Amino acid sequence: MTSSSPAPKVSGTKIYPASVKNRAYVLAGVALIMYLVSLRVQATILPMRNKMQETKNASRVIGGLNNEFLLLPLLGFREAAAGLLWVRCDQFFDSGDYDAILPLVRVITWLDPHDSNVYGTGAWHMAYNFTDSQERSDRRYIYPSEALLTEGIQNNMLIPDVKFEKGWENFDKIKNFPEAAAAFQLAIDTPPNKNNHDSWPQGAPLKTWHILAHTYEKMGRIPDAINVWHEAMAISASRIKSQGKTKDFSDWMLRQAEIHNLQEEYQRFHDRYTTTGHDHVNPSKYPGVQFPFGGSNKPGPWDVHITNKITVMLPKVLRFTGTFNSADGARVDVLIEDWDYKPHIDKDSSTAFAVDPNQTILMDSIAVRKDAYDREMDMSKDPKMYSFAHNYYRIVVSYDPRTTAPTMQDRFGWSGEGMTDDNPDRLVVDNTPGQMANKYIDGFGATGPIWDPAIAPWPQYTQPKRMLMITYKVSRDQIMGRSPITDANIVPNQIMPLGPGMLP
Amino acid sequence: MGVIYAIARQTVREALRRKIMWIFLVIGVFLISLGPVFGFLSPKDSQTVLRSLGLAAILLAGLFITIVTCIYLIPVEIERRTIYTVLSKPVQRYEFLLGKFLGGFFTVFINIAAMGIVFLAMLYFQEGHHIAPEMARGVMLTFFQMLLLAAITIFFSTITTPVVNFFLSFGVFLVGNLSSVTDTLTTSQNKIAHGVGQFIYYILPQFGNFNVQNRLIHPEESIVNMNAYIVQNIFYSLAYSAVVLAVAIILFDRREV
Repeated sequence: MTSSSPAPKVSGTKIYPASVKNRAYVLAGVALIMYLVSLRVQATILPMRNKMQETKNASRVIGGLNNEFLLLPLLGFREAAAGLLWVRCDQFFDSGDYDAILPLVRVITWLDPHDSNVYGTGAWHMAYNFTDSQERSDRRYIYPSEALLTEGIQNNMLIPDVKFEKGWENFDKIKNFPEAAAAFQLAIDTPPNKNNHDSWPQGAPLKTWHILAHTYEKMGRIPDAINVWHEAMAISASRIKSQGKTKDFSDWMLRQAEIHNLQEEYQRFHDRYTTTGHDHVNPSKYPGVQFPFGGSNKPGPWDVHITNKITVMLPKVLRFTGTFNSADGARVDVLIEDWDYKPHIDKDSSTAFAVDPNQTILMDSIAVRKDAYDREMDMSKDPKMYSFAHNYYRIVVSYDPRTTAPTMQDRFGWSGEGMTDDNPDRLVVDNTPGQMANKYIDGFGATGPIWDPAIAPWPQYTQPKRMLMITYKVSRDQIMGRSPITDANIVPNQIMPLGPGMLP
Repeated sequence: MGVIYAIARQTVREALRRKIMWIFLVIGVFLISLGPVFGFLSPKDSQTVLRSLGLAAILLAGLFITIVTCIYLIPVEIERRTIYTVLSKPVQRYEFLLGKFLGGFFTVFINIAAMGIVFLAMLYFQEGHHIAPEMARGVMLTFFQMLLLAAITIFFSTITTPVVNFFLSFGVFLVGNLSSVTDTLTTSQNKIAHGVGQFIYYILPQFGNFNVQNRLIHPEESIVNMNAYIVQNIFYSLAYSAVVLAVAIILFDRREV
């Protein structure tokens, strides 16, 4: 018997043709080379992958998920699981089951840290939606809300959305205008990105410039506000130009609003700080800040003579009555909090953002009518918000010229320069750098410098904020009505530059 | 090549006749078409959910189609003894295996392409007649991920039964996807955990490389050059598949059928 193929070789108990053995050697060599190639490629991929993929909180995410949502993250589809969880959140929003939303928001932002909308909505939900029976927000959620926004900004530095949300929350809810201005400026400084259709060719939407200008107004930094209005108008002008002929006039209307706001800025400055051209708000020939309403000929700030009395009507029901010689439209702020109140945040995935049930904080404001105010604060119906589990509490009654209505600022100025109190203990001057405004008048009689818009911005932030404040230190027994709250409980005022409820 | 092509073509025909594959395809398309249901969310949320669920549906359906198609390709031929008829002709075993692999690969390609077209069409109509190139990239990455999985499944089918192969392939895919966990293991102080991490990193395919959906779904939040990353992943997929197929041929050459 003859054969053209070589004789098979014996290998153990099995016999393989030589071609098979030869092929095995070649294939083993190929496999080894390709394996080394794949390792080399993997080494190149790994640093890029680490940049692009979120590997943080992997175990916490898995621990925080129900079985039905576990498969998708395990297969690499964290975003799909996040999307489905967000749909469930929406159902909870509809049903009013607000407590169930927070742990889901925590897990979703871990699953998909680039879903900027979840950061914004989650933070808004915490800051605004948890209220007591009289529609007062639960201020214990402010700090976790801010922390969530800060985390969202860190995870999404290339988009303006979360930065804007943080600015808005500080502007509208917390009234921390320096923090708001910083957040809006951060949004504006976002690198322009063609994929951000709402912003391109800027780094942030035009509304960010608008709200930043308003924030500077609130801070009393009018030259800065005017500069920002001019920047906004330059952007809107280029938009209108690039549109050409159009039937969509929304940008034109926006531009008209910008012009209106800029003119109003000049007008207010003129009315409040210059010696001529006063209108019905202040018919005298002097600036309102020196001669407030009332026709007084005596130069100097107006004595508002703030007084306050706290009566405990029932346990946890406090009535605030007092006088405030200003005008209708002013609002007196009230803060009640644990004497040693410290913001608290829970980072566990199952109880995320849950507040400390033993903490108490209330913030509200009372309208002034005919130089007096009167309001009852009932905290007895909301024991989960107002546990009063501590021994001592701080009660602050205050007036802040920066957060008041423009009609009041017409009388007292942006920084309260035009007001004083016959009790000097009640006048607080906030020299915190972030609170300093532009100084327009140095002395009475309009002898100080008058700001000239032609040389704006005027880089002189030397005007401190003048506030009125009365601070009490009361015991739990007093809150419960076992003993009265009197002027003997009044203690020296303390500036809280970041606002109540915020970490110093 | 003619032999390999003939076997591949026949394999595609047989695979397309299998009802189970069509069931997975229909489920995949159904899941993709669920996207517009979430239109009640805000536009940005709705877009995120639509895109992420679409890609996930293609992956899930593609995963099962790949495994179910490939685990049976060789065992069925052996079980039915049709392999004797094929190998008695001038067909080498490696040609048979490569033909089977390519057949399975084309079958998966057809299915993923079909789901991809439905998905992109859905996006086109849902997102204001705007073509989403980044989503096409996502579908392409899923396809190369499945190519790698198909090679692994074919490899296991030369040494195990279909049932064992199913769990092995699925397990390798799952562990290969857990890069976020295994990366942590490689830096662990515990020697056993470190060893496991090293084994996973150096031996098992890194399916986690292909998980860049986040950057595809949120393109406005990244300035990373995705094209370079995708090309490298395709190259990795091809190189690792070549390794697995070479070893599979060596084993199949020695297997008694």
